[in-house]
Amino acid sequence: MKGGSSGSISDSANGEASGNANPVDHIRLTPDLIALAQGGACVILGAREADGRPVVGIGVGARVDAESRIRVFLDRRPNERLLAAIESGSGVAVTFTRAVDHASFQVKAESAKTARADPNDFPEVGRQCVVARDELNELGLPPQVAAAFGSFNPTSVVVVELTPAAAFMQTPGPGAGSPVRT
Amino acid sequence: MKAIPLESLRRSLEGIVAAFLATCDSDGAPNVSMISQVHFVDNEHVALSYQFFNKTRRNVLLTRMATVLVTDPVTVAVHRLDLDYEETQTDGPVFEAMKAKLAGIASHHGMEGVFRLLGADIYRIRSIEAVPCWPPLPAPAEHHLLAAVRRCVNDLDRCDDLESLLEETLACVERHFEIRHAMILMAEAGAERLYTVASRGYNRSGVGSEVAFGEGVIGVAAREKAAIRIGHMTAEYRYGATLRDTARKVGIVASLPAEIPFPGLKSPRSQIALPIVLRGALLGVLFAEAEETMRFGYDEEDALMTVAQHMGVLIGLLQDEQDATDPVEDIAPVKPDGIAVIRFHPHDQSVFIGHDYLIRGVAGAILWRLLTEFTESGRTEFTTRELRIEPSLRLPEYSENLDARLILLRKRLEERGACISLEKAGRGRFRLIVHCGVSLEKVIDAANSAAE
Repeated sequence: MKGGSSGSISDSANGEASGNANPVDHIRLTPDLIALAQGGACVILGAREADGRPVVGIGVGARVDAESRIRVFLDRRPNERLLAAIESGSGVAVTFTRAVDHASFQVKAESAKTARADPNDFPEVGRQCVVARDELNELGLPPQVAAAFGSFNPTSVVVVELTPAAAFMQTPGPGAGSPVRT
Repeated sequence: MKAIPLESLRRSLEGIVAAFLATCDSDGAPNVSMISQVHFVDNEHVALSYQFFNKTRRNVLLTRMATVLVTDPVTVAVHRLDLDYEETQTDGPVFEAMKAKLAGIASHHGMEGVFRLLGADIYRIRSIEAVPCWPPLPAPAEHHLLAAVRRCVNDLDRCDDLESLLEETLACVERHFEIRHAMILMAEAGAERLYTVASRGYNRSGVGSEVAFGEGVIGVAAREKAAIRIGHMTAEYRYGATLRDTARKVGIVASLPAEIPFPGLKSPRSQIALPIVLRGALLGVLFAEAEETMRFGYDEEDALMTVAQHMGVLIGLLQDEQDATDPVEDIAPVKPDGIAVIRFHPHDQSVFIGHDYLIRGVAGAILWRLLTEFTESGRTEFTTRELRIEPSLRLPEYSENLDARLILLRKRLEERGACISLEKAGRGRFRLIVHCGVSLEKVIDAANSAAE
């Protein structure tokens, strides 16, 4: 599970600049965004619980198919509340951030599905974790800490599947918060 | 009653590992982002950095709800904090502490100019929950900071004058906290500046160097009377520029005395400044720095703040004792050796020996007063009590720092190798020793004469 990004810190001017993205069925992600999402980025998820409160979760990796459908891999144990919210029909937000340069974008979907993980995905999830671990090492995190952040437990991995309806840049600086080119 | 006290998670709130923040809009659509800082306010509250007016911000103002994940950078323990937004602060101690920390974080990540703190969003903590993300790594060995504070307090209680208190404090900080670079600055009441009165661990003492209120972590700590610290190198909190800028603005650049260089490290990665306060009044600042990143955490801040607070009390006690004076001892007059021209500029009370800058402010006025008396009557023994009531010195009503000014003056004379020196002559008394003839010259600068 990749969580810590040694200060890959953005407080990004994220989110809809206009606040009303086009209600299209879904958007297509550009190759550079797909590369970012599958390139060992820090993956965080948001949802809404039944009482209206937000809940946040952490992913370990992601895969994006040709239709821009995203499968986010995450450990069930620390994400029970997030998964319960999604299973209850909550909308979902997922933010991908590359530790080394803070490049970041967020996708949103009105709903998502949870599913069991396919072991055939584990080599790719493992590869993404290694990339993340190496980047965190490069940023100066102690090796044991980077190793912990860049690890996942195949026995408890589940999947959140979503089709993004909107995507927004979150890299800090000019342009942050704007809808991404799709 | 919360099962997990926030205090036990303070290492997770240092900003070493980014925190993750989720909010929802009024339709329930979630938003998730990283956040630079989750700052410890007290066991019931945290403050989150507000840097941009973004979706997160809009959501918080609409729903007043947020949740954040924080990670311990050593043990990798993760906790979820459910939060209710209360208010945004745009000044004051919490804001300034976060602003300073953010400047370090921004610099560390190449984000200077992008990260700017607009406000400190204060949240009440509804609940704290441990999140089992990764197998925990071992916790670091304890620092035993409380024991270090106790030893420090014990050592300081043996000091019987301000000078020994200042020197012993810096020695204690090194001996018990292994902090090798530290200094003490005293506040110049009314002038909104501080002057270095003692330092340890530098190539030059820098005694007499000045820091303006608001400048660097020292000046901000003084202005806010709050502990300020930075864990990474940053240019934003450097020293030297503000005083020059202020001087330019008030039009005294032409006569600004040559500055005494600030003695700080060239490339500090960690800095901490603790206000020395007595009954709400700022006396000075205890400052420490290190070349390592993140050298000072919340626990070190608590420990050093306690030492600084104890210093404040001791300074007050020493001040109270000062009025009791010891008998005067007669000493033989010193034979003069050459003549020194002493120039005094009344507009800023600066004193030059020949053309070399010595000191300014109250310390400069004291020296001028002593030398005037000496040349007129040959007197060499003085009391602090008489200085305190001397109108020409323009001392503020509360003059807790008179001793500090005498220490500053004595050290500057000593460092300059001047033919004039000061020495203690008993409690509340001191002696002027003049090894040369002196010629006094009062310089009325045309540009400033209107203000005289």
